[in-house]
Amino acid sequence: MASDPQSAANQRIVEDLVSRLRRRQLVGSRAAALETLLVLRQVVSKARSSNINQLVNIIRAVGRRLVEAQPKEHSVGNTVRKVLHHIREEYHTASEKPVVESSFSIAKFVLQGQPRKQTTIVRSGSEARAPLKENDPNDPDSFARVLKPVLMEAIQDVFDELETVYDNISKNAKDHIHSDEIILTLGTSKTVDSFLKAAAHYRNYTVIVAETAPSYGGREMAKSLSSAGISTFLVPDSSIYALMSRVNKVILGAHAILANGGMFATSGSLLAATAARSYSTPVVVCAGQFKLTPLWNLYHEHGALDFGDPSAVLGFDEGDLVEKVDVINPYYDYVRPELLDVFITNYGDHPPSSIYRLLKETYDDEDNEL
Amino acid sequence: MPEPSPTSAPASTDSPTLTKAQKKAEGRARQEQQRAAKAAQKQQQQQQSGQGPAGSSSTKPKGSATPRKSGLESNTAASSSKDTEGAGGADGSSDGPKSRGLRIFSHFGLPKTPGHQIKGDIHPVIVRLGLQFSEFKICGANARCIATLTAFKTVIQDYVTPPHNTLSRHLMTHLSPQITHLVNARPMSVTMGNAIRQLKLEISGSDIDLPEQDAKDALCHKIDNYIRDRIIIADEVIEDLAVKKIKDGDVVLTYARSSLVEKILLRAHSLNKRFSVIVIDSRPLLEGKTLLHSLTSTIPPIPCTYALLPALPSLITESDIVLLGAHSLHANGSVYSRAGTAMVAMLAKEHTVPVMLCCETYKFSETVMLDGFGKNELAPTKFSPDAPKSNSNLEILNPLYDSTPASCITAVVTEVGLIPPTSISSIPLALGRMSL
Amino acid sequence: MADFQIYESYQSLLKNENLSTPLAAILALTEMMMHSNAGTMFELLNELKGGAEALSRQTSNPIGLNAGCELFIEFITSFPQDAASFSELKTELIRHGQQYAEQALTYRAKIAELAFDFIKDDSVILTHSYSRVVLQTLLLAHKRKRISVFVTEARPRGLGIKTAEMLTAAGIPCTVVLDSAVAYAIDKVDFVLVGSEAVVESGGLVNAVGSNQIAIIAKAANKPFYALAESYKFHRMFPLSQYDLPSHNPGVLSFPQALGARALPASSGLPSKSSSVSSDNGSPIRITQEDIARNNPDVDYTRPDLISLVFSDVGSLTPEGVSQYLVGMFAG
Repeated sequence: MASDPQSAANQRIVEDLVSRLRRRQLVGSRAAALETLLVLRQVVSKARSSNINQLVNIIRAVGRRLVEAQPKEHSVGNTVRKVLHHIREEYHTASEKPVVESSFSIAKFVLQGQPRKQTTIVRSGSEARAPLKENDPNDPDSFARVLKPVLMEAIQDVFDELETVYDNISKNAKDHIHSDEIILTLGTSKTVDSFLKAAAHYRNYTVIVAETAPSYGGREMAKSLSSAGISTFLVPDSSIYALMSRVNKVILGAHAILANGGMFATSGSLLAATAARSYSTPVVVCAGQFKLTPLWNLYHEHGALDFGDPSAVLGFDEGDLVEKVDVINPYYDYVRPELLDVFITNYGDHPPSSIYRLLKETYDDEDNEL
Repeated sequence: MPEPSPTSAPASTDSPTLTKAQKKAEGRARQEQQRAAKAAQKQQQQQQSGQGPAGSSSTKPKGSATPRKSGLESNTAASSSKDTEGAGGADGSSDGPKSRGLRIFSHFGLPKTPGHQIKGDIHPVIVRLGLQFSEFKICGANARCIATLTAFKTVIQDYVTPPHNTLSRHLMTHLSPQITHLVNARPMSVTMGNAIRQLKLEISGSDIDLPEQDAKDALCHKIDNYIRDRIIIADEVIEDLAVKKIKDGDVVLTYARSSLVEKILLRAHSLNKRFSVIVIDSRPLLEGKTLLHSLTSTIPPIPCTYALLPALPSLITESDIVLLGAHSLHANGSVYSRAGTAMVAMLAKEHTVPVMLCCETYKFSETVMLDGFGKNELAPTKFSPDAPKSNSNLEILNPLYDSTPASCITAVVTEVGLIPPTSISSIPLALGRMSL
Repeated sequence: MADFQIYESYQSLLKNENLSTPLAAILALTEMMMHSNAGTMFELLNELKGGAEALSRQTSNPIGLNAGCELFIEFITSFPQDAASFSELKTELIRHGQQYAEQALTYRAKIAELAFDFIKDDSVILTHSYSRVVLQTLLLAHKRKRISVFVTEARPRGLGIKTAEMLTAAGIPCTVVLDSAVAYAIDKVDFVLVGSEAVVESGGLVNAVGSNQIAIIAKAANKPFYALAESYKFHRMFPLSQYDLPSHNPGVLSFPQALGARALPASSGLPSKSSSVSSDNGSPIRITQEDIARNNPDVDYTRPDLISLVFSDVGSLTPEGVSQYLVGMFAG
């Protein structure tokens, strides 16, 4: 890291977030995404860079640092990727360089298949903008001066999107939940909570909440839903299968949505999704776009599963049992795409098979590894 | 009025329910005595349908009569009264979606409050047993069946045939209220039903000319034989069969606690097999902890891993065989067992881990079961979580059972050997239980 | 033009052990262009299409080379025609073809690197027949992780044995399983890794015969089925069934009497072992391995729903992703 005061300030706020992530003082994917964004905004505003590569490298370095602090909090990396994507986009618009088909070759021809965003670069033609100059030896700040305001705006857009993510996911809730339906959900998820509450404005329906041992997050969820006037039943995890024959829809939250259309979610989700499939009950996942993660499952069925405190499962009140017995308490399940029917995001509804394309449109390939 | 199960239909009548329940119980006893010599199959159906209303109608007045405000309990109590009113057509629509939800779950046996009223001439042994049932002190299909039969031995020994009557005709009238009392304490298990049916046959078939004490001794002997043959010896045979399937180095996964699975594991351990056990457990009962205690008290202790049901996916891949117990086994091959069993079997099937269900043949029931929703029972309130602050929209349900489809079971280990679950209906006949 | 024999050129190119059929086809087409005296783009394209057809006609299993020809011809069609003269343009195109074939040889390493991430330490991998890209992936994995491999024998050509020999020589624990023993072995396997002849528009896979049944078994056992395919194997073709493949011909799976080769339908119609069986007139009937091979397909088609992922040099793709990709490439 450079030693000038500005980058020192940057370093301080980055380290602050790193330590909070590492100590798990900051949990929850949206909270982590918001904090990451605040740090990135700071970093971009203070960063000294005279060309795009420098800027990207600075952001990637910060991103790497944050991701390493808490690799299981995928929303951190996703936010960094998204910001990078926006920065490149703004840069291309600002530099007005036609994206040169540098050389036509068969390999390039093959790459045409690559899913891309439909080119949305709207030329703001009338706006007379100062030409973007990179690496200008006479005026090294020219690059930053011209580009920074645009970038701050782009970051603000991402920020606004995160702020309104629940509302945007929930806005079509009434189209997914119909009157007199019985919905099964589990654990606590703010996204699912707001989705169900939004639907309750229009529909009378019943929610069954599995309490999701050992965190028993379902109890909180049931309390919150019932206090919003939704008819709610709290049941133990063991009764999911018995009740499934009467359930119309299973609605789950996600921890991270993966490139193959599968997801990591609170443990218990896999059981519910598998049980749902045996009754052909649709499984709906509500998640913000910041949970899209350009990762394949890569055997995370075990590897990335985070294990929680065993004492939540078998307390010390059980006496010497605790010493004799291995206790397993994973935080997350990996749910295969075949078990899921639809992802409801703030960017519309998507079947698991198109998550791959969505990812390609949201992030740049080179950022998959920060 | 969509009633998912016919069993709750009689509750809608508006006659005073207490007497209704009594009448029902008496009527049933009388009917059954008359029918004792008739075909067993017909009897059984009758009993199945008679059992439900007796249970639900007797709890109903309690719900509305005791307006105790202790969070959850008042909830369920209120739900039962509201539901029955709704079923009567009074105010079902007034509270919108809620009553609908309630109706759907209304047929689950409501949790019994301990110390329910004693009606009629109930033997103290039965009173105590009823209390043990309702407090889940005695729990599990085998334990309840053995306890019931043992208690009936005392009842029979203390019974004196009234004048102008014969034991074979009257004893059942005496036993019926006792049975009703136990059913009021907790819905009857299939094992109890099967054993009681057998007992009735024995009573009605007992020799009229036999001196009373001899006849009673003969009946008690029959009961002992039943317990010995159908449960104790059957278990030993099953242990032998199941142990053969556990190989050195295996990881055995089980769910909650089945007394039979526990015995199998301990037997395998005593045969010096080296294996480890994964115990999966879940609320409401968390019975797996009891199993853990007994498995870890062996010398040397059996290596055990313990996890709650949501953690199952990360453990099922490690296991080589799944051993499960059952409450009852039905004609279509589905297994009625502790809630959660179905998901363990389902996931095991998904990962091609063989599932062995350990079950004595006396747990067979000729009825079919399509899902775990039609018939179920709720755990008593003491197993509920510390009720989150009561809220009229929030209800807590703790179903005790679920139904595992036959397709998820690899083999059923019975005392007549390993059989596929769908072949069950042919076995009781082979055993001569249902002599027509 | 008449003096150039594209098939001979193709065959001699295939002698290069590293060159797969689509690349050989592309190179054969470039050679054809060198000999061509077409004066316009239209003529050239017609000649190339004729050459591709000739190649396809003379090969029993043209799927791979079709994919290569298709790619090259599509490329030429969309090539910006801003060169000064046509002969210059032609030289340019030839250069592109050769350059691509050279560049494409690095794709296997790229795919191996991609697939490597999915290989866990201590994995047991099942592979089928012989595939250069699978071999390269396994060798790469072996350098950094412990793996062991089951290889199917892959009758009738028995190419699995070649794979097994090469893997064993590299020190990878490797066992050949019978094609008929896959279902027996599958529970010991962590995932299936196969190469491919072509990846088609449905997202499905065309590969050495047996791949389909392995995929079905893997699906039934809930094991991932991964396919490796260089992007030049992406083929714009939509087979509806096994018999919709261009490699299918009436001889495959035909009954002997239809061929007229053997009399005595009563005994030879039975799937008798290769041991001799006495026929009516007493002379023994022998069914040789060659007879069996002649009646059997070289490749089969694996439905997309049986495939977990396709690794290619353009990234890891779901079967849906493959078909979206193909549409983007040829219809975009």
